[in-house]
Amino acid sequence: MKDLFKTKFDAACIVLIPACIGINYLGKLFASVLKLPLWLDSIGTCIGGCLGGPVIGAVCGAANNLIYGFTAGDNITLIYALTSLGIGAAAGIMARLGFMKTFPKAIITACAAGLTAVVISTPLNVIFWGGTTGNVWGDAVFAATQAAGMPVFLGSLLDEIVVDVPDKLITLILVYFILKGLPKKLTALYEADAEIERLN
Amino acid sequence: MKNISLFTDNGTCLTKVHPFTKIAHIAAAVSIPLIVGRLWLFGCFIGVSLCLLAWGKVLKRTFPLIAFSFTILITIFLIHGLFNQNNANVLFRLGPLKFYREGLLYALRIGLNILNMLLSFAVLVLTTRPSELVDELEKRGFSPRFGYIISSVFQIIPQMMGTMNTIMDAQRSRGLETEGSLRTRAKAFLPLISPVVMSSLINTRERAIALEVRGFGAGIKKTWLKDRPRHKGDREATILCLLLILAAVVWRVGTWL
Repeated sequence: MKDLFKTKFDAACIVLIPACIGINYLGKLFASVLKLPLWLDSIGTCIGGCLGGPVIGAVCGAANNLIYGFTAGDNITLIYALTSLGIGAAAGIMARLGFMKTFPKAIITACAAGLTAVVISTPLNVIFWGGTTGNVWGDAVFAATQAAGMPVFLGSLLDEIVVDVPDKLITLILVYFILKGLPKKLTALYEADAEIERLN
Repeated sequence: MKNISLFTDNGTCLTKVHPFTKIAHIAAAVSIPLIVGRLWLFGCFIGVSLCLLAWGKVLKRTFPLIAFSFTILITIFLIHGLFNQNNANVLFRLGPLKFYREGLLYALRIGLNILNMLLSFAVLVLTTRPSELVDELEKRGFSPRFGYIISSVFQIIPQMMGTMNTIMDAQRSRGLETEGSLRTRAKAFLPLISPVVMSSLINTRERAIALEVRGFGAGIKKTWLKDRPRHKGDREATILCLLLILAAVVWRVGTWL
């Protein structure tokens, strides 16, 4: 348990972060090129969390949104830096607890990350957008709940659950298969409980 | 290769203004209307941002940014105009749809807030070179490790885009369908993204070794390649923005007392 938040800030971890941010960008780009109704913009954040631990995951997530917000003009993402931070930390904590080792466990991790995203995003959506998320399916749910006279907060929560949980589910299934395919000489760089053996 | 940064050096005065001055402007433009809570202030700051953008000759490039969030704004107007909880007075009718005054007012507030944020950020984003922003942050004691993270994102993404195009062509030439029904497109996602992700993760190992060899982890104070000439009026503009925020806070506290 004491290793849960242990983080190495060596060159390997520092280099991992921009790579993960790039992966996030590509995920979003592919999702829009293929016109998929999902975001898929947290693949990198989850990889960062699973490889480097919760702290690196959180840094990846927050840095991702901050960088795009301040330089690519996509400043709506700026306020969701908190959400990404939560997703990265959640994925990292679950991975350190061993919940990325088998496929069923990876699904539990996905649910944890998705629910973290829901819990953090909902208040932000209500404050900044009046409850909508900008995703067609989610907003249809929101409109339906509003027409049925439910409170804004509940409507927005349902809106988020419909969008975020499937999104994170697919993201983490992808991450699981990608991590399985990585060579050991790479993953060994990020193992928290690695020990250096000396021959002298 | 496509650069993700929206900056282009057009040589206007706005590109020479210190990044921190622009950040102070963002802070003032975003926080003051929210602190004071009056609708006309949003208008004021939107006006100021528009003037600045016109002065920097980047007004035309702002429109794609606005157009991007326009669909979301329309959804907000529709949903709140039609279904907001506090709706009581009908403002106008469009066929069978009734638009209510309260919901539209609420949507207007959200819409102006978003527009205001977008425009004030556009002032920074369209006229500041990212590496300059990182340099200035590092000079004020920002960690050089994080500085590296930010500046290397701008190198990695064009590289990855290049790899992505190669892989997209390669997979298509092997007969992968990337267009068609949702099922086909969803099935194409994994074979497209996993090679890029794998190769970029594997590249990190070499990058890490290259950095270590060049003394990245050395705990010695680093020097800068470029010196930045001071621009006249930077300090004054920053102080003005901060004073305005302070005045707004004082006004707000004053109305509470």
